[in-house]
Amino acid sequence: MTTMSRRTFVVGGVAAGALVGGVAGFSAARQTEPAEAASVSTGTEPFYGDHQSGIATPQQDRLLFAAYDLTTSRRDDVEGLLREWTAASARMMAGDDAAPPAAHPDSPPADTGEAIGLDPAHLTLTFGFGPGLFTRNGQDRYGLASSRPAALADLPHFVGDALDPAHSGGDLCVQACSNDPQVAYHAVRNLTRIARGYATLRWTQQGFGRTSSTTSDQGTPRNLMGFKDGTNNLHADTAPFNDNVWVTPADGPAWMAGGSYLVARRIRIRIEIWDRSSLTDQEVTIGRNKIEGAPLGKLHERDVIDLAAVGSDGQPAIAQEAHVRLANQDANGIHILRRGYSFTDGIDPQTGQLDAGLFFLAYQRDPRRQFVELQRKLASDKLNEYIQHVGSALFAIPAGVTGPGRFVGDSLFS
Amino acid sequence: MSRRWFALLVVPVLFAAACSDDSSKSSSASTAGGAAEKQEFKVTISDAGCEPREIPAKAGPATFKVTNDGSAAVTEFEILDGTKILGEVENVIPGSERSFSLTLKPGSYVTYCPNAKVDKGVLQVADAPAAAAADSEASQAAVKKYRDYVKSEADQLVTAVTPFVAAVKAGDVEGAKNLFAKARQHYEAIEPIAESFGDLDPAIDIREPDVEKPEDFTGFHRIEKQLWADGNTSGMAPVADQLMADIARLRPKIDTVELEPSTIANGAVELLNEMSTSKITGEEDEFSHTDLSDFAANLVGSKAAFDSVKTLLDAKDAALSTQITQRFADVQTALDAFKGNDPTGNGYVLYTSLTPENTRQLSTVLDTLAEPLSLVAARLL
Repeated sequence: MTTMSRRTFVVGGVAAGALVGGVAGFSAARQTEPAEAASVSTGTEPFYGDHQSGIATPQQDRLLFAAYDLTTSRRDDVEGLLREWTAASARMMAGDDAAPPAAHPDSPPADTGEAIGLDPAHLTLTFGFGPGLFTRNGQDRYGLASSRPAALADLPHFVGDALDPAHSGGDLCVQACSNDPQVAYHAVRNLTRIARGYATLRWTQQGFGRTSSTTSDQGTPRNLMGFKDGTNNLHADTAPFNDNVWVTPADGPAWMAGGSYLVARRIRIRIEIWDRSSLTDQEVTIGRNKIEGAPLGKLHERDVIDLAAVGSDGQPAIAQEAHVRLANQDANGIHILRRGYSFTDGIDPQTGQLDAGLFFLAYQRDPRRQFVELQRKLASDKLNEYIQHVGSALFAIPAGVTGPGRFVGDSLFS
Repeated sequence: MSRRWFALLVVPVLFAAACSDDSSKSSSASTAGGAAEKQEFKVTISDAGCEPREIPAKAGPATFKVTNDGSAAVTEFEILDGTKILGEVENVIPGSERSFSLTLKPGSYVTYCPNAKVDKGVLQVADAPAAAAADSEASQAAVKKYRDYVKSEADQLVTAVTPFVAAVKAGDVEGAKNLFAKARQHYEAIEPIAESFGDLDPAIDIREPDVEKPEDFTGFHRIEKQLWADGNTSGMAPVADQLMADIARLRPKIDTVELEPSTIANGAVELLNEMSTSKITGEEDEFSHTDLSDFAANLVGSKAAFDSVKTLLDAKDAALSTQITQRFADVQTALDAFKGNDPTGNGYVLYTSLTPENTRQLSTVLDTLAEPLSLVAARLL
């Protein structure tokens, strides 16, 4: 049974259920689910590799992101936790349960069960280390302070930031992406269970729709402003991706080679105000046409943005403070991989307005010269009238786990 | 402080009012916004080109109904101003009709149907028709009414800031605190106008989280922080002098602001947006908690802007005008429940005494007003 995958379970459901005694009734009850799972893109992503999955992977439709505070004071516990997370992740990404079933039916099930019968739908689990793993409140908690990468420098205050500590920071993170939200939820739930006694959840963020395309053959999705987002994103199948996303051995420290850095920003969209802004204001703010997604002054989405174009009124076709002008990655020479998701978290109790927006996730080789520089350029962005950054976190993403016996981030601990 | 809106709104010379494949919906939007006579143009696209090749038009709202006369290759029709697309329809498949609406300004434009044998034509827009002249007199009256209001508020602002600055410079902390909200209210009433003067609004009203460099933290909120967070006026004399000087620079600039009825109507909405983003959240006056005084002043300013264009709106959409008037009253009633006697509150309770239920109630009634108010600008074009 230890190698029984969830997909095998679907096929051999009843027979397998009969074999595992106490779990049988539960698994048999899930037999109606494959039809539902078939409506989402199915398949698995490889867990082992030079880089962690969930970065260059074609972006899945759903996200559950979790940030953790380490509660243990022992370095061995942290290492042990990462070993357990690695083992469970390799299993879950392959479509298995998080752990082999418990030996005795009087024990609680080792796996929480809600993903039984579900296809992994390209589940990826990506792990990161926040500044607090290295130093917290000036303390070197695990003897790792000297290994903290210079690029993992605390982000500065940006104009307009209104950061809520309840949606910011974290010593560790897991980005769970799948085309099936229940699969992503199952993974984070089980990883959180494994972490008990060593780390507690600090905050989570669910994303219900991807807002970027990360490969050339993915269509450009729309964000909650109704505009196509991420048209000019880095694409995993192009050359600039490797130069701008992966840390090289020369970048240092050595343990980060093959890794990346993740900036997470919870960006609230002032939905009600955006919705009562005229179409012209919306298009001038973004610098693109809303329906087609074409840069203003151009016809089609993929047309190259012409920042010099001028209308007959002598004004630039794309306003000086339009979002696409300031954020244009070709014009300012800064490239990041955006891998964000739309979110909606009910209503803001203070105003009754929708608490919704963009959970911005960006991977890069060095945040100091990528995200930080880019965000500074956006200080005068017209879009700032309609958005507010309310959460922020920064993580070092170690290289991939190259094979069984190793664990995520092991080169930091060796 | 918020961000500028006049700068944004004067940019487009001519813009799409609606773009839809539902022609009835599109043309009704055009009718509702119709300042002058309604214009409708039928355009036929075919392999040969777009007919008519030359379209004479008058300034004002116009709807283009585009029919495909059986061409598989030619399925788009665009109106171009140089390289800028002013309006277009795409995917007009053979036998179908799609439409879009524009507000035309005088000038010569290119019509373009890609892939046709003759793919370009001319749209010639003549000056506004005579019928619009009377309309424009009423428009001018509306603009004058609002400009006079703004001038009067700017004068009262100088009068109210003078004793505040004097108290700060005299080291009178309690006196200055009691004058802070009073001094700000005339600024808050006309804030969108001040925002159109470049650096003036940040200098006067920037909030600490919006400051890039510490030395740029000046104006009302810098003094507010010193008075409430530090409890003194140490180092504030030059800041107060600068505030007085910046305030005095406002008044003479008001004659130069480009105003149209539609921009005034948008200004009324912007003031409500201000209220719902920074006042209702307590972010504006984070040290003094006098946000409700600002909230009240924004409302007064928004109502004054609306009242300036109300006569114009009455002629175009009386029902909308009545609805908005009622909802202004609803917001005022909701706000009146929070009158108070705190010496610093300028007639209102401090933000810190509001419960989440209170702010939510205010926010909801505000959104209820802002939604119909946001429709006014297009009606006045």
